[in-house]
Amino acid sequence: MNQWLTLFQKELIEMWRNFKWIWVPITFILLGVSEPLSSYYMPQIIDSLGGLPEGTVIEIPPPTASEVLIQGLSQYTTIGVLIIVLSTMAILAGERKSGVAAMILVKNVSYFSFVTAKWAGGLLLLWLSLLIGSIATWYYTGILFDWIPIDVFFQSYFLYGLWLTVVLTLTVFFSASLLTPGIAGFNSLAVVFIFTIVTGALSNWLEWSPSQLTNYANEMLLSRGTPDDALPASLLTLACIIILLWLSVLIFRKKELAS
Amino acid sequence: MPLIQISHLKKSFKGTEVIKGINFRLDKGKCIALLGPNGAGKTTTLRMLSGLMEPTDGTIIFTDAKKGEDIRELIGYLPQFPVFYEWMSGLEFLSYAGRLAGLGRGEAKARSLELLKLVGILEAKNRRIAKYSGGMKQRLGIAQALIHRPQLIMLDEPVSALDPIGRREVLDLLEGLKKETTILFSTHILNDAEEICDEILFLHNGKIVESGSMVELRERHQQPKIDLFFTGKSLEYADIFSNHKLTHSISVEGNKVSVFVTNIVLARQAFLRLISEQNMPLEKFEVSSMTLEDVFMKVVGK
Repeated sequence: MNQWLTLFQKELIEMWRNFKWIWVPITFILLGVSEPLSSYYMPQIIDSLGGLPEGTVIEIPPPTASEVLIQGLSQYTTIGVLIIVLSTMAILAGERKSGVAAMILVKNVSYFSFVTAKWAGGLLLLWLSLLIGSIATWYYTGILFDWIPIDVFFQSYFLYGLWLTVVLTLTVFFSASLLTPGIAGFNSLAVVFIFTIVTGALSNWLEWSPSQLTNYANEMLLSRGTPDDALPASLLTLACIIILLWLSVLIFRKKELAS
Repeated sequence: MPLIQISHLKKSFKGTEVIKGINFRLDKGKCIALLGPNGAGKTTTLRMLSGLMEPTDGTIIFTDAKKGEDIRELIGYLPQFPVFYEWMSGLEFLSYAGRLAGLGRGEAKARSLELLKLVGILEAKNRRIAKYSGGMKQRLGIAQALIHRPQLIMLDEPVSALDPIGRREVLDLLEGLKKETTILFSTHILNDAEEICDEILFLHNGKIVESGSMVELRERHQQPKIDLFFTGKSLEYADIFSNHKLTHSISVEGNKVSVFVTNIVLARQAFLRLISEQNMPLEKFEVSSMTLEDVFMKVVGK
């Protein structure tokens, strides 16, 4: 346990020294907050760009608070995913490629701790950045539109976080199995993309698919109730995360550190 | 007393056998050099001993290891090109390594400072490793290999990449470490091995072609030799010496004639007399013994 904490602490310090603790939360804030701000100020923005031709009557119905928050949060499933993958893809592949993993693992360090401590570091960064970003979005939606009950907001935050944790764990998995960070990143994005498309196309059959979680979160924000499939989908997602992480450790241990 | 026993160790990469079944043992407290030309399999051997690579076949037995004990506790390893977390300072990296090896916070720091002092980079302890020179990184690498007081440290080409001053310093450091731990290091520089090692393992094409202590090797391959340097062509005098009854064999290189003799004392007298009698234009007369390089050429050349 002591060893695990040492490894975990090193991850946190490293993320501090390379400014991940600053740029990831800030990007998450900007991504989310831009939605309520741009929706609210849309008429002014159009005016300042020269306005619409005189006589045009375009009724833009003001979006509801739920719609604005959903738009804001949905940024995290696109650009947010990209940020997570890019900032995580080197987590194991990079250290193995440089050789520093061999320097550490030639000592009496458990592979399980080595991989899970890194994963946990990424997990903390993800959930905190998402928390700060989505609370800022929720706050701006509240003052510019309408307040969404905080418990509903937190439930959907949780579902978004769970889906992004799948993305994170998948990236860790590819980073453990491949030598090049770039290829690990590409594979992660490709799998997430294909997975989302397939789930979207077959949504009637794949109700418990992890990538449905964000849809349930959105439904929750619109209807203020919990969809029936949210719980089983969450449990299945949790199982996927554990299996992926376990496989990551297994594969990382199996691969020779020096080639 | 053997610390580690290696039997029938083999390693293949994609069907090509790189290590072809080697046997040796390392004795406690000795400094052993793993010698061999580039590509002989030195790095592969060390990687298998350190546990970074799985042997294709064969066994590595640590005599002291208790059942189920992780052998990684017993060894310290310095790869040929040590890599660190460049964003850490030297002290941070060593403390980190110490904490991973199970030392407490204070203990790890104290041990790190002690090692930084030992390897002579104490004044750079708070500098980022990214700013370290090659020699400093090598020394930090040695320090990290020692952090958990291993019974055996393995160093892969610890001095090959260093300039003469850095090389001198690291060699002196190793000389000092001999008292504390068993050292196995690989090199292709024969002088280094000759200087600080008690024992030599010659690796060539994945096989151990010769091994033993320096004294044993000298005895086994010893052949007293007299080098004669002449002004101008030496070939005409070579015949005189090659027919001499004390001569074993002879080789000629430019103005130098190397005569391997059966009895150095008699040969010295006889040759000197011969030279003055015949009035040969001698420049230099040298009684030399076989160097490790001669041994190396002999065992690798065959």
